[in-house]
Amino acid sequence: MTLHLVKLAINNIRSRRTRSWLTILGVLIGVTAVVSLLSIGTGVEQAVLQQFKDIGYDIIVITPNTGLGQASATMGGPGFAGQSATTSAAPPSGRTFSPDQIGTASVPTSPSSGPAATVTAAAVDTQALLKAVTGLVDAGNLGTRVASVEGPSASGFLRVTTPSLSFLAAFPSILGGFTIANGTTFTNTTENEVVIGARSARTLGIGIGDVITIDGSEFAVIGILASSRSVSAESSAATGRRRNGTARAGAGTVGGVGTGASLLARGMTNTDDSLFVLRERAVSLWISQAGSSFTIVRMATGAKVDQVMTSISAELTAQGVLATPVSVQQIAANIQGTLGMIETVLASIAAVALVVGGIGLMNTMYTSVLERTREIGILKAVGARDGQVMALFLVDSGLMGLIGGVLGLVLGGLLSFFGTRLLGPALGVGSFQPVFGTTLIVGVLVASFVIGALSGAWPAWRASRLNPVEALAAE
Amino acid sequence: MITFHDVYKTYLMGETRVEALQGVTFELPERRLAVIMGPSGSGKSTLLHLAGCLDTPTHGRVNYNGTDLGALSSRGRADFRAQSVGFVFQKFNLIPNLTALRNVEIPLLLQNKPAAEARKRALDALDAVELRDRMHHRPSKLSGGEQQRVAIARALINDPKLILADEPTGNLDTRTGQRILLLLKGLVEKGKAVVVVTHNPEIAASANTLVLLRDGKVESFSTSHGKEGLV
Ligand SMILES: Nc1ncnc2c1ncn2[C@@H]1O[C@H](COP(=O)(O)OP(=O)(O)O)[C@@H](O)[C@H]1O
Ligand SMILES: [Mg+2]
Repeated sequence: MTLHLVKLAINNIRSRRTRSWLTILGVLIGVTAVVSLLSIGTGVEQAVLQQFKDIGYDIIVITPNTGLGQASATMGGPGFAGQSATTSAAPPSGRTFSPDQIGTASVPTSPSSGPAATVTAAAVDTQALLKAVTGLVDAGNLGTRVASVEGPSASGFLRVTTPSLSFLAAFPSILGGFTIANGTTFTNTTENEVVIGARSARTLGIGIGDVITIDGSEFAVIGILASSRSVSAESSAATGRRRNGTARAGAGTVGGVGTGASLLARGMTNTDDSLFVLRERAVSLWISQAGSSFTIVRMATGAKVDQVMTSISAELTAQGVLATPVSVQQIAANIQGTLGMIETVLASIAAVALVVGGIGLMNTMYTSVLERTREIGILKAVGARDGQVMALFLVDSGLMGLIGGVLGLVLGGLLSFFGTRLLGPALGVGSFQPVFGTTLIVGVLVASFVIGALSGAWPAWRASRLNPVEALAAE
Repeated sequence: MITFHDVYKTYLMGETRVEALQGVTFELPERRLAVIMGPSGSGKSTLLHLAGCLDTPTHGRVNYNGTDLGALSSRGRADFRAQSVGFVFQKFNLIPNLTALRNVEIPLLLQNKPAAEARKRALDALDAVELRDRMHHRPSKLSGGEQQRVAIARALINDPKLILADEPTGNLDTRTGQRILLLLKGLVEKGKAVVVVTHNPEIAASANTLVLLRDGKVESFSTSHGKEGLV
């Protein structure tokens, strides 16, 4: 019977082509909205979470307390991420540079107050920290400063990143892998050695063995980094973990944020445009360097993040350092929460579209019952039971819902593929792919059939209740 | 086989009550041709609807082979219409967007018969009304006479014992109408009880039973027993 009903319903849908398509279109628009918004939303969430995963959920970042707040420092906020073009001589946005201003993470508390009001935090003693806090395995400091750099053929202001040896050993991924393309990495802490980002090397026109001057001290160029673009390509090939979309991100975004670690790295430094000097050298050469920097620590597996954070805070107080620890887990949870809220709002909007489609369907079914009253009378006269008449209309509307659902799924899928291309760069997460879970697909198909059937339920019930004689007299 | 016992049917049109049938009592035999006549509005259609279980009497009893039709549930009435009776209407009442074949198949499909069986029986029924070559046509592509023959095929498809025809020639020209009436008369030989509402005096003359209605009452009821009454 069901099969016969489906045949009859299809026949009916086909014989009322224009109306059927308009009705289906209503459902289709709703489903398209639901599918594209949800798949993009899930895609964004997964892309963002993947970046945190690449950094490592066992990482805690200790940032100096500044006017900018921790969030912008650790999440690549405007205070840090935006300033990649330091190869040009002019410092950003009218601020005059004293070399220690950025290098010490001493930042004006508000844009209008100028360089006068600064807070200087003392550097974290990582050895003491490792000793004092149980559940930590690695700790390292990383500073950045802008320095005047003179090369053989060009000079200018460049960002100098100052990782400690232990930092380089423990957290290379935070510096994009710190992959050397030419030369070697640092050999000792007593000589003035500099490793240069790919683009800076090109801009300055220097190679291995050249000597450059940084803030008055001479440094030997011992290594040039691979550009972050090629690093991201290599790493994705090596790990096989990252999808196409993520690998392409490096190409699309200035400075290359190909690796997952880049989210954090962007907050710290930009490997292509930066120069790298060991923190041990920087501290002994430039006295102000002592007060700089972030501290990155890694928890032991199984360590409780809450306990570790409390111990870190206590130790920081003991050391007299004005800094706050933020765990990657916390950041990820916060972002996930926010994204979840946004997704809920988007899904609700989409659901409204779906409901509107359902109302359109109800209207069509209601009109259809009116138009087919005579036909209902005929069916009843030849022995159709009330339930069969009802089922016929339910299958009819359910099928229209389902067709709308299938088409909406396809259209929504296409839309979100194009949408992510545009959205990725705009959101700053590189390009990413929409995610179509089985739940989404099955859910949408079931929901569209159910919405179709539900919208048809009342008209169908009315149809089934018609008195056959009165129905036959209709027209 | 079918008996009306003191049957009343009252329609309510807002405030006004229309007494379509007012105490109708008679009995129609099996395997015979019955003709119901009477002026327009005398209650002929109403009577046929009650006999075919399309409607229920306001008062009184309609019995079919011992079953009180008025006591049936909605589902019981549907099943009665499906299995025991075949209806032929003045306006043919075919489903416009289905082919002749599909129209004939519908009652079987509603009975959950397998598609192959439904197809075979529908073709046989179309053969019986000589319309097999028209089976893929929609009603709009068929002449009135052809549509009515499709309707007769549909009425026969479940092999009911009772065929009810309400002015089946009312929308047809005389010649075509004659052919339809002959077709219906022929069904009596196949063991059906056929009840026809018509104004055609010839078929009235050949009927076994003639019921004359006026103002919702039986004005005359005549039965011709014996062989000469058989068609
Ligand atoms: N559904 C209805 N509602 C109200 N009045 C009706 C209805 N059906 C029939 N009638 C009235 O009942 C009377 C008998 O109608 P009907 O049985 O159709 O007569 P006939 O078929 O002999 O012309 C008429 O007066 C008609 O107007
Ligand atoms: Mg009538």
